[in-house]
Amino acid sequence: MRAQSTARRAAASLLLTCICAAALSACGSKQDAVSAPATKPFTVMLDWFPNADHASLYTAIAHGYFSTVGLDVHPVVPTESAEPLKLLAAGKVDMAISYEPQLLLARDEGLKLVSIGALVQRPLTSIIALPSAHVHKVSDLAGKRVGTAGIAYQATELHTALRVAGVNPSSVTESDVGFNLVPAMLSGKVAATLGGYWNYEAIQLQQMHKNPVVIPIDHAGVPTYNELVLVVRAEEARTDGVDLRAFLQALTRGEQQVRANPAAAAALIVKANPSAEEKLQLASIEATLPATLPSEHSNPYGWQEPAAWATFGHWMFTQGLIHSDPNSAGLPPFTNEFLPGQGI
Amino acid sequence: MTPNDGPPRARVGQAITRRIARGLPAALLALALLGAWEAYVDIGSVSPIVLPAPHEVAAEIWNNAGLLSANLELTAQEVGLGVLLALLLGFMLGVLIHLSPLLRRAVYPLAVGSQAVPIALIGVLLVFWWGFGVLPKLFVIVLICFFPVVVTTVDGLASVDPDQLKLLRTLGASRWQALRFGELPAALPAALSGARIALAVGVIGAYIAETSTATSGPYAGLGHQINADINALQTPRAYAAAVVLFVFAIACFYTLALAERVLAPWANRPRGEIR
Repeated sequence: MRAQSTARRAAASLLLTCICAAALSACGSKQDAVSAPATKPFTVMLDWFPNADHASLYTAIAHGYFSTVGLDVHPVVPTESAEPLKLLAAGKVDMAISYEPQLLLARDEGLKLVSIGALVQRPLTSIIALPSAHVHKVSDLAGKRVGTAGIAYQATELHTALRVAGVNPSSVTESDVGFNLVPAMLSGKVAATLGGYWNYEAIQLQQMHKNPVVIPIDHAGVPTYNELVLVVRAEEARTDGVDLRAFLQALTRGEQQVRANPAAAAALIVKANPSAEEKLQLASIEATLPATLPSEHSNPYGWQEPAAWATFGHWMFTQGLIHSDPNSAGLPPFTNEFLPGQGI
Repeated sequence: MTPNDGPPRARVGQAITRRIARGLPAALLALALLGAWEAYVDIGSVSPIVLPAPHEVAAEIWNNAGLLSANLELTAQEVGLGVLLALLLGFMLGVLIHLSPLLRRAVYPLAVGSQAVPIALIGVLLVFWWGFGVLPKLFVIVLICFFPVVVTTVDGLASVDPDQLKLLRTLGASRWQALRFGELPAALPAALSGARIALAVGVIGAYIAETSTATSGPYAGLGHQINADINALQTPRAYAAAVVLFVFAIACFYTLALAERVLAPWANRPRGEIR
């Protein structure tokens, strides 16, 4: 009886020793993990579902370019186009991919945000029509129905394009078709759409052998702007410059890798968004490449042209989209200082 | 002697035949609708980008079984957990509203109003509070599903036979005992109907939740997939995901009905039947 209880006690103390040893070794391994080079979590909210426009981002993640510079980049997908800037301003994400017009609107509403680089140099937004609608130039839209994505500044872009073409905007009927731009055209409900991209919807239609007529909005009288920009909080641009510079360096390496191997980038997009179609993504990446680098080749990837920003900001102001001219009030809405080789 | 009496094996056979006969109308109606749909698309009245034919949708289900099941697993978890929370909340709220006239006046209008809250409006707030995971989605599902449970529970509790309550009071039952032995059993059938509605609504609730709150990761549920597919012009695959949701909602509804019959057989007894 006594021997049995001694044995039990011995077993218990052995068990306790094992648990302590395990706990200690766990502490040790935790310490090891802490002493390894730590990467900083960095959340980037995309402008839309992962697509060809994000090729440099996903390539830089997959090749470890961000972790090399100490950033652990996580992309998140929004549900609507105004959401990224709201969550950025609220401090929920570290960076948002958005549109230059959207950023100017957000700043006009008082959000302290600034663009630190352009992902795409010129507008992707286009007027797109199918041959059956007999729309070959903007003036052909007179008296017809145009589908839009329900975004106010895009409607203003349409009005400017119409006026430049000598058409009274009130002669054109606008219908908000949400994100069903292509189905609206295919079903013949609208003669043309504004809001689709020349590097996405236009290519989709081309791949379906529909031979669409595509008029990029900057070829129709709207001043050029950076369609996609990388936006951060103005405060962080002042205090966290090291991370932002590191981010842009890694992204630049990602973009060079996309140029070297677009097919691998397309595969990464499909991995991130199983709904995307690889053939379309590849065609879209290849079509977008000329628009990702600035026209002046001495400027780095991500460059934002000050003169173009000034002209476009003024256009938004004169169209009544924003209350004050971005050129006249406070700090500019963009900065190139974090781009590789700049601001040193 | 009723026509159902007879040797046991014959009775089993009859039961099976009866079950098949009962399922027949639904199957025939589904087939007729599918046939009409197929014919409508095949005669070329509409582009497949706008409406794909059923055979195309079936092929998409077959070809994307992995993707669909990964997303279904996520959506099913959201629906299961969300509806469970909605049932608990709805039932408790229903009982409290029944017990307290003050609470009824205070809470009921707000509960009704909650059903008119546009989820797209609050999606960004939910993400701000709880991040990019499952929590904002659960909140949306609970918000959409708790209401039918509250209404059916409150109505059920009020439907108790007044004579039964009178009898309980005569026997000296406390308020709690009256609730426990009088009102709650009377409310059960109605509350269970509320649960069935909540579960069916929970599936579209999950779609709304997934498409109105931001997410990370390639698999984010069937609702997210449907919107991503629409955007990528993969309409047949969006329909395939919608069919999976459709079947899932039906399966949920009948599973709960079956569970009810097994777990609470008295709840399904037709009214007026003698015990």
